[in-house]
Amino acid sequence: MSFVVAKNLTRNYDLSDPLIVRALTMRPKRILTAVDDVNFSIEKGTTYALVGESGSGKSTIAKMAVGLLKPSVGTLIVDGKNLNDPALAREDQLALRRRIQMVFQSPYASLNPRWRVGDIIAEPIKAFCLIDGIKAQSMRVSELLEQVGLAPSDATKYPHEFSGGQRQRISIARALSSQPEVIVCDEPTSALDVSVQAQVLNLLKALQKEYALTYLFITHDLAVVSTMANKIGVLNKGRLVEEQSPAGLFSRPQQDYTKMLLNAAPSINFD
Amino acid sequence: MNRFLDSDFFHDFLRAPVALISFCVVLILILSAVFAQFIAPTNPFDPASLELMNGFTPPLEANMFTGEVFLLGTDDQGRDLFSAILYGLRISLFVGLMAVTLAMVLGVMLGLIAGYVGGWLDNLIMRLADIQMTFPSILIAMLIFGVARGLLPPELRYEMAITVLIISIGLSEWVPFARTVRGSTMVEKEKEYIAAARLIGLNRWQIMIRHILPNVLGPVLVIATITFALAIIAEATLSFLGVGAPRTEPSLGTLIRVGQDYLFSGEWWILLFPALTLLALALAVNLLGDWLRDTLNPRLK
Repeated sequence: MSFVVAKNLTRNYDLSDPLIVRALTMRPKRILTAVDDVNFSIEKGTTYALVGESGSGKSTIAKMAVGLLKPSVGTLIVDGKNLNDPALAREDQLALRRRIQMVFQSPYASLNPRWRVGDIIAEPIKAFCLIDGIKAQSMRVSELLEQVGLAPSDATKYPHEFSGGQRQRISIARALSSQPEVIVCDEPTSALDVSVQAQVLNLLKALQKEYALTYLFITHDLAVVSTMANKIGVLNKGRLVEEQSPAGLFSRPQQDYTKMLLNAAPSINFD
Repeated sequence: MNRFLDSDFFHDFLRAPVALISFCVVLILILSAVFAQFIAPTNPFDPASLELMNGFTPPLEANMFTGEVFLLGTDDQGRDLFSAILYGLRISLFVGLMAVTLAMVLGVMLGLIAGYVGGWLDNLIMRLADIQMTFPSILIAMLIFGVARGLLPPELRYEMAITVLIISIGLSEWVPFARTVRGSTMVEKEKEYIAAARLIGLNRWQIMIRHILPNVLGPVLVIATITFALAIIAEATLSFLGVGAPRTEPSLGTLIRVGQDYLFSGEWWILLFPALTLLALALAVNLLGDWLRDTLNPRLK
């Protein structure tokens, strides 16, 4: 069995008016299906990329994958354990959460502006009680900072003292601090400029190699996908319409929607 | 400390004459209230030290019976007004500070809960705030004061007068805090750092206190300054109406009430000096609050 499995993943949003308004206007309930019966599986140590336009349900899947949002129907299974199993005890749920972390889209909103970087990175360590003792914890924070290409002395600074790319590195260090096995990356490079994008992607790749991390990569940028992904799923209006390897997707797209996405992507020729 | 001296905030402060003067006035008043027992020539709260023959002595004139001279004159009971103002200032500042603290703690907690939890709890808290806003806050303070007075045994009434005053003013001023904090909480809770905190399994209280609270406190300090001025005025009003600090331990409001009885019989100083002190204090705190609000508002930069 694959490491991460999404089975019949569906998420509905109830957009209907309050009951009394509906009764008066005789209108039915309005349900928006953001994610509709999505199935995919990710092997351990590989990257699965979900691409699609805005509104295609990518971020909703990301939120369900880390447990921030409950699926309406369907299940997410990580290493054989159901993430939304109501029978799961709180300790087991915490233990499962530790193994799945997330890198967020906006490097400006994902770090608490009033906290020092060291405290931000140490928070998951404290929350999961991974390391005892303040000294050992700060040692681990320095180690993590070095791993993502920052200096240990940066731990005493505040997020606003860093550039967008550096902040994303801090975000990655925080995600790594709980020693996860799966990292969900929700458009981690879309807020960065192109040269910095490449650095962050290379860092993610190097970390994957070192720790055998499994990535679920959410993006709209096909250039990012081609460098990162082992497998690509194309989302259109909440449905998974195509699933391919990167080489296959770029050379033989099966669906019209995929072709449209590929054509819409800007390409640069250096010839 | 060096970082503070280098900051834009301190730089702006030095270039704003209104803020500078207000700050100096507030500082002088606070210091003279704190060190009242060293500055004041007599203790106005000690009935034994009062000499009725000294009553109604005009400022800087010798009393016709005892020949004593008082800087700001005396009141009807021969109390030295300068000392009474210093001690009264102390009561006014203490009540104001405690009332603001109470209102702030209450308002910030309710605002955080309303903004973060949402749903029916949000509705309940905010409708309560709406209801409270339809009454003038001084009316609410009087209501609470009256109810508390009725519940307390008579022998405790004098001792508890100040506490009751603090609670009634504090409970009538929480609404602006709650509204502001609720608004900023609703903005903050959608940000991704809150999602990151939820990811590691923190519960709502931990997220509210550790993550959201530090990010919504900026505007709270501004409101606290402005509410402080309001609380001082509310205290003076309650005392003026005779439901606040007792005559044996007069606050500025009590002194003004005593003074207004004698205004038209020619003893103008009993009213004027406490009133001027109250005016200076309330105006300075208010101007400082306005300046803080404008300076800390990035849209006005």
